[in-house]
Amino acid sequence: MQIVVDLNRCQGYAQCVFLAPRVFELHGEEALRYAPAPPDDQAERVRRAAAACPVQAILVGDRAGAESGKGAAADDR
Amino acid sequence: MSTETLLERINDYAHRADPYPLYAELREHGVARQNDGSFLVGTYHEVAALLHDPRISSDVRHRTDPDEVRARSDGLPPSFIAVDDPEHDRLRRLAMRPFGPPHSPGRIDALHGALVGIAGELIDGFRGRDRIDLVDDFAYPLPVTVICRLLGVPREDMPALRAWTDTVIASLDRSPGEETWERQQAGTAARTEMAEYLGELADRRRADPADDMISALVHDAGPEGPLARWELMTTLTLLMIAGHETTVNLITNGMLTLLRQPDALERLRREPELMPSAVEELLRYEPPVQMLPQRTPLTDIEVGGVTVPRGAPLYLMLASANRDPLRFEDPDRFDPARRDNEHFGFGSGVHSCFGAPLARLEAQVALAALLRRLEGPRLVADPPPYRHSPILRGPRHLLIDCTTKDDGAPGES
Repeated sequence: MQIVVDLNRCQGYAQCVFLAPRVFELHGEEALRYAPAPPDDQAERVRRAAAACPVQAILVGDRAGAESGKGAAADDR
Repeated sequence: MSTETLLERINDYAHRADPYPLYAELREHGVARQNDGSFLVGTYHEVAALLHDPRISSDVRHRTDPDEVRARSDGLPPSFIAVDDPEHDRLRRLAMRPFGPPHSPGRIDALHGALVGIAGELIDGFRGRDRIDLVDDFAYPLPVTVICRLLGVPREDMPALRAWTDTVIASLDRSPGEETWERQQAGTAARTEMAEYLGELADRRRADPADDMISALVHDAGPEGPLARWELMTTLTLLMIAGHETTVNLITNGMLTLLRQPDALERLRREPELMPSAVEELLRYEPPVQMLPQRTPLTDIEVGGVTVPRGAPLYLMLASANRDPLRFEDPDRFDPARRDNEHFGFGSGVHSCFGAPLARLEAQVALAALLRRLEGPRLVADPPPYRHSPILRGPRHLLIDCTTKDDGAPGES
């Protein structure tokens, strides 16, 4: 699974951090950091986070991650 | 009656089951002054701009009408929902510390298993019955159990809290009537009693901490120091009321919508991974908070070509903006897979719903469990009887005929 967050759209509502705290993280009050290729066991949480984003800034590529099988590798946390 | 203003018609209980034609009228007519001097805004882009406009206050003490100011000046000061930055920001940040990021990012995620368990137990209670009241048997006890557990409020005190909450909610209602003043007085008294109860509970946690948000609030103060006692009282009262009241309506409106739309219901049964997006669509299509009635311009402002004077009551009609065809394609259609869904179900801007992530998770877990376990659910009455409030809108009861099956494997994740 791969995700991209449009950080120009992100306004720091932090819904994604609540719903997938192992994938998204706040630095200070508003700056967002995230794992671009979260492990597969986070998929349901990531889906919740993407749906909840009030400015729809999170893009999820289910297929890309599932097919290439490189889910956990790029989790830099 | 043609001389009634839109606001009067929206407030009229006769329109509670379906206010959406009135909202369409509102969008067509644009921003309009009502007989009582208030202004309604119901188009998406105008509501969006006002939600982000620092000239718009959430503090009704900025209203010109002395009665409005007087009604709110008795009793405790307002909580952070009803004050402006920088005070709002400070109080909200301190309340967020034990609830969410950046300080407590895992608090809501950690509740997931408990939510699944509570929903499952409530549904277990339906077995052997062929008719349930979704409100009393499920949609009310679920969020109440959750907020009590989260804050650390003893479950046995809930009847008293329910009575106070009902009185406070009734006092928000500005529909015309001779009892308005009495309702507000009763609301002020109930809010004060509730705040005193929660203040005493916080005192007990101060002496004897537990693993709950109240204990964290009184013990784990950040660099800005702890909330003052009265701030703690108003904040806890707000969290307690807002923490369950609206979720009842979200779950009930959700089930009602799905029972009216069998295709969507079947689709969600087949594709449960659509639930997060379906809940967003519910928040757009049937938002539990229909309007924000507490906004006031701090200076004369122009909205949609109309001047709204400083101090006038300004109603932001969220449920109307959510159905604006200039923003949403086919807005009166419920589409559980809708994309491009930047709805105002939780408001927007600095006052956007504090508890949104909890409400989202509760609704997703609740609706998923109901769809999985209720067999052949049918509405007994459509429309169902509604609660009185035009602001916090939802059914008072929702009778459903169904049978209940055992849960094979509750979807832990």
